[in-house]
Amino acid sequence: MKYDAVVVGAGPAGTVTARFAAESGAKVLVIERRQEIGSPVLCGEGVSRKIDEWGMLDGKRWIANKMEGARIYSPDGTMVKLSAEMAGNETGYVVYRDIFDQELARKASEAGAKILMNTNATELLTEKDKIIGVKAKRYDEDLEIEADIVVGCDGVESKIGQWAGIETRLDPKDLETCCQYTLTNIDCKDAFCDFYLGKKIAPGGYVWIFPKGKDIANVGIGVLGNLSESGMPKKLLDDFISNNPNLKNGNPIRFLAGAVPVANPVESVRDNLILVGDSARQVDPITGGGITHCLEAGKIAGETIGKAVEQQQFDKETLSVYETGWKEAFGKKLKRNYMLKEIFLDFEDKTLNMLADSIKDIKFDEISTFGLVKALVLKHPTLLMKLRPLMKISSEV
Amino acid sequence: MGKPKAIVDKNICLACGGCISVCPQDALYMNGGRALVTEEKCISCAICIRICPIGAISGRNASNEI
Ligand SMILES: Cc1cc2nc3c(=O)[nH]c(=O)nc-3n(C[C@H](O)[C@H](O)[C@H](O)COP(=O)(O)OP(=O)(O)OC[C@H]3O[C@@H](n4cnc5c(N)ncnc54)[C@H](O)[C@@H]3O)c2cc1C
Ligand code: SF4
Ligand code: SF4
Repeated sequence: MKYDAVVVGAGPAGTVTARFAAESGAKVLVIERRQEIGSPVLCGEGVSRKIDEWGMLDGKRWIANKMEGARIYSPDGTMVKLSAEMAGNETGYVVYRDIFDQELARKASEAGAKILMNTNATELLTEKDKIIGVKAKRYDEDLEIEADIVVGCDGVESKIGQWAGIETRLDPKDLETCCQYTLTNIDCKDAFCDFYLGKKIAPGGYVWIFPKGKDIANVGIGVLGNLSESGMPKKLLDDFISNNPNLKNGNPIRFLAGAVPVANPVESVRDNLILVGDSARQVDPITGGGITHCLEAGKIAGETIGKAVEQQQFDKETLSVYETGWKEAFGKKLKRNYMLKEIFLDFEDKTLNMLADSIKDIKFDEISTFGLVKALVLKHPTLLMKLRPLMKISSEV
Repeated sequence: MGKPKAIVDKNICLACGGCISVCPQDALYMNGGRALVTEEKCISCAICIRICPIGAISGRNASNEI
């Protein structure tokens, strides 16, 4: 078997890359170790409406609910309300992630990409240190899949990158460790994504409630790895639910565990190798959202692969068009939000309360971190020192 | 007696991959929808135990097979 590109992992990063590579004329194979794409769901299922502009999905079957905006609750319960446009990446729609992923896979296959399920990549195939494909196991069968480009879209585990010598291992302080219930029989008639902050609620993270309908929502928690202990996210989430009058009578119809890389991105290209999505750590370090980045980066990766195939050049320099492209699209945002994450971590609950209190009534005409930071600093000049590095980078975005 | 090695309870693990992404020894891998430990590689650092959101990993003594 010889392909132009073999994509490992059929999450959104993998299938979008495959689709655009195939559309640009490349011969593409996607391998996926699961037996069903998108299932089990490991996601809060919140996606920005930016997705409408890109038109990568047909129909509306993947949409569960349309959001009006987000509400952020500080530790003392002060609420800051944001419209969907302002709330950024992860509010807009709540989706059925399994259907969403399967739709993206269908589009990839429509474009001519082949998908092989139940196929687990086990190591890179190399020849004198040059990457020439992957070895994989399909049931009991050992496969050697040759390809000019190996695309690592294997999510948070990011083994492809590691096998190629890229340091993808995460420091616990760069991982949100999560779990989530989908609860029915609760009241969420107003379509808002809710976020709850606080050291006691979710150290280094937050609790979220994303409504999938009028009486059903994803209720989840992320705790920063270095602040967590065995089983802590589940325990804190159970406590949160049992102390919430609305949620405590809910019935769980799904429970999941999850891991979100909130790290700085890693190298995303080498000779004959590309990493896309969570495997390249292209996740927003503040919100933990990664889906839209997978779509943006996947398209650029796919188009880059198309060009590389056309020129029959698969070296790092040729593939770097991809890295430059995704960095232009959202690289600065990731960098800025990683800094913001580090700054937030130092904040005591009372600082968060104070911040929420200062901005709760502000109507922002300027929808940007820069505007937000400016408003905060005007009210609390002492914050300036802490936020100065952020001001600098925000003003460039 | 060696230090206790990490062991994943396959009845609890939900295959989130968190433990795999933080193990400094590359001692964990996914198999059949569950995380598994390669005992020879494990150095008993317990990072994975702390990371697991649902408490599926514990330490066991290598010489004390369950
Ligand atoms: C609890 C939780 C909540 C989240 N909530 C949101 C949210 O609300 N909004 C948002 O935008 N993002 C959210 N995210 C992040 C989002 O889910 C990820 O950013 C996104 O799934 C990344 O897509 P991906 O294609 O890079 O990787 P994945 O979707 O993880 O796909 C990777 C695929 O690769 C396969 N694979 C891995 N290794 C191999 C191998 N060796 N061989 C073959 N196949 C392999 C896996 O089976 C998997 O199908 C959340 C994440 C978690 C854990
Ligand atoms: S962190 Fe826990 S739930 Fe996640 S894969 Fe590892 S053992 Fe399983
Ligand atoms: S105890 Fe440490 S070395 Fe052993 S599997 Fe867990 S993280 Fe890896």
